[in-house]
Amino acid sequence: MPEELINETQTVSDTPEEQEFELRAHIGSIWSGGRLFIAMYTFLDASLIFSYFYLRSSNNGQLWRPNHVTAPTSYGWAIYSLVLLAALMAFYGQSRLRKGSVLDWQIASWVGVFAGVFALLLQIWEFTAVPFAPGSSGYSSTFIGYSCMNIMTLVIVTYWIETSLARSYRLPKEIGGTNPIMSMNPSAQSFRANVASMTYFFGFIALLSTLLFAMFYLL
Amino acid sequence: MTISAERPTQVDDHSPVSPVAVKERRGFGSGWQGQHIGTAIIAGFLGYIFGHWLGNYIGSSYAYIANSGQNSIADLLALVFMVVGWYLGIGALNYPLAKMVGREATHEVEYTGFSKYFRYNLDHKVVGLQYVVGVLLFLFTGGLLAMAIRAELLNPTTHLFSADTYIKIVSEHGTIMMMMATSVVVGPLGNYFIPLMIGARRMAFPRIEAFSFWTFLIGYVVIFSALPYGGFPTGWTGYAPLQTQAGPGMVSYLFGFAVIGVGMMTAGFNLAITVINYRAPGMTWSRVPVFVWGILSTAALLTLATPVLFSAGLFGLLDKTAQTAFFVTEHGGSSFLWQNLFWFFGHPEVYIMALPGFGIVGEIIPVFTRKPLFAYRIAAAGMIGVALLSFFVWQHHLFQSGIDPDMRPLFMLTTELISIPTGFIFLVGMGTLYRAKIRFEVPMLFCMAVYFNFLIGGVTGVFLSDVPVNVTVHGGFFVLSHFHYTIMGGLIFAFFGGLYFWLPKMTGKVMNKKLGLWHFWTMFVFFNLTFFPMFIIGLLGQPRRVFTYAKNLQTLNDFSSISAFLLGLSFLIFVANLMWSQFISPVKSPANPWDSLGLEWQTASPVPRHNFDRIPVIMTDPYHYSEEGAPALADFGGGSRADVSSATFPGNDPA
Repeated sequence: MPEELINETQTVSDTPEEQEFELRAHIGSIWSGGRLFIAMYTFLDASLIFSYFYLRSSNNGQLWRPNHVTAPTSYGWAIYSLVLLAALMAFYGQSRLRKGSVLDWQIASWVGVFAGVFALLLQIWEFTAVPFAPGSSGYSSTFIGYSCMNIMTLVIVTYWIETSLARSYRLPKEIGGTNPIMSMNPSAQSFRANVASMTYFFGFIALLSTLLFAMFYLL
Repeated sequence: MTISAERPTQVDDHSPVSPVAVKERRGFGSGWQGQHIGTAIIAGFLGYIFGHWLGNYIGSSYAYIANSGQNSIADLLALVFMVVGWYLGIGALNYPLAKMVGREATHEVEYTGFSKYFRYNLDHKVVGLQYVVGVLLFLFTGGLLAMAIRAELLNPTTHLFSADTYIKIVSEHGTIMMMMATSVVVGPLGNYFIPLMIGARRMAFPRIEAFSFWTFLIGYVVIFSALPYGGFPTGWTGYAPLQTQAGPGMVSYLFGFAVIGVGMMTAGFNLAITVINYRAPGMTWSRVPVFVWGILSTAALLTLATPVLFSAGLFGLLDKTAQTAFFVTEHGGSSFLWQNLFWFFGHPEVYIMALPGFGIVGEIIPVFTRKPLFAYRIAAAGMIGVALLSFFVWQHHLFQSGIDPDMRPLFMLTTELISIPTGFIFLVGMGTLYRAKIRFEVPMLFCMAVYFNFLIGGVTGVFLSDVPVNVTVHGGFFVLSHFHYTIMGGLIFAFFGGLYFWLPKMTGKVMNKKLGLWHFWTMFVFFNLTFFPMFIIGLLGQPRRVFTYAKNLQTLNDFSSISAFLLGLSFLIFVANLMWSQFISPVKSPANPWDSLGLEWQTASPVPRHNFDRIPVIMTDPYHYSEEGAPALADFGGGSRADVSSATFPGNDPA
């Protein structure tokens, strides 16, 4: 016997107040979800930072960082610059979007996507260029850990921009009208809230990258 | 387009969706040709094989792998691709992939009938019931391993297992139980009832919610895969350097914890955001049910403490596969680093397990005492206090190792401090029970047992926070008994209380009372007879995780073992009750069998797809039992049960 499918067009009719409530809750979820995601990410990276300073201060067997060996700074600078560029583009795009220029936001986001992908490739390629074995010291271990976590971060942020960009192209077809992305349509409001959360997260990632770059390449 | 037009019975992740999108997506077929647990198993299996092949291919170029004969890269990649295959097979990645081409909140085909429980379902009530089965699977697997442990300890000289096998059984038991315990309330009851209790029609992120369940389930498979890999000898705490020296089973442990960690983070994330944003109009923070406070504080811990566990697992896996040295002291790492990272998660985890239990008890006792919850605000404050302080106590696990002795008093103090908000919560219960005419129904009995058990577990915990006592009894059965009293005596008893209380709402069928009473009394008596002697055994010096012991402790161990077998039997009574009441001879439950004022009981039974026909407007908190002229709980706007008033509500008569 075939499965019974619920009628896809079946709906619950809402009052205008309920519609307003649902929309507010939805936008609020995107806003607070973005902030909570930052809090989660803070704890994730705090464990890496704790490990770095714990092993550094322990310096077991004088093997924290023999001969002050350092990961290739050229790669470090390049990756850090690309992340900063993506973050700056996110902020610039967001400011242009607020002024109604969707095209500017899209161009800035494309730059962000390419910067993210390029940084990701460089981060992976850097494994072939490190002048130490992964387990040769405390520093080398934490550096490999940092690289893996940075790959994860770059995948997340690049995915976030790319999906927002893809959405910005499909949204007008779905809701129609002139400049629908800037309209009061719920889908458009949801889109803008998502972009705002993404930009905020980028700001956090830029700060975090600055700290981690200083720890692993400059200190 | 209005929001209403965008809420079909298909669940949407975010409301805005166009009719165009509805027409476009139909998933990967329908019926059993669609995605379900069967396709997930097949895809997971294929992923496992592919990952293993890939790992062997990569590993073949490394001399250290060829020399050692152990390819952890293959072990890890097999598990990684198994999980990816599982997600692909169940449909968890459909939406994230669709987003890459700009599709948002499209509608999957949604099934009614029994098959919906085997699919990636976005209804929080289905996910709640899926979790019930999931946690029981964990519980009974861990329980069987516990039986094996107690069977081995029947005799100090005649052995069922080798020392090596014994420690691996202990390790698997501990890990499975701790993984289960993190989700035992949050998963089934939290997911099912939080939207109903706050007057919401949906979760904030239903896909993330479904993702958390299917991650939880595959986490079980990953951690259980440790046994065919030869197990791991570290206990559930996974301490280095033993971790570094252990065989491939350790990879399952580390990756399993990382996978379960993802499930915990996503579950906590969704619940926290839902409570913050989807509370019905009028549901102010001072009207939020105490169970919701328990889940919210737990969700905060899940989202903030678990990332540290994830990192620790990642670092451990890098040590096993990429040959880093995070936890290898001889190479510049530190085995104490693992302890710090693990317990920074591990101690909040204790409260991840305790707080939902407190929430259940706080929700149930006003119903059966017909009294308002005593000092509601203090209960909520106590839960927040416990959650905050739990981040500052982890180093008491390192009193014996890896801590500057001068730091011990500080962490002794913070650990003792946490007993204050815990005491608040306890006293709230006592205040509610004071001079109450108690109805001793099965859920209430479980709640009373929670107070009894947790008192013993809590008081011994205060002793253990004291450095001299800690140093004396560390690593022995005293500690083991203490944490079984808090986790099993507190959380698991609360879970069963909650299950007996809410199952009539979840399934529409009542549990058999006589079998429920048998279950309770056997579980309560034999739980205490199993674990109380372990305090004495511990004080007499028997260490944990050792398969032999001094001859003079055999009588106590035998007594404990036989009690444990009978305790195991009590769980079978529960299973029999569940089968009998829900499937063999079901009896339809009244709409509100306990005469509760909780919002979750005021909606229709069975609960409609969108919970409430109209979003309720909340007028007051749900604890105005036996109060003359108490205000109406909520305005349901002509919905399921309009204008429920505590003064007129059936069973709200003090007599």
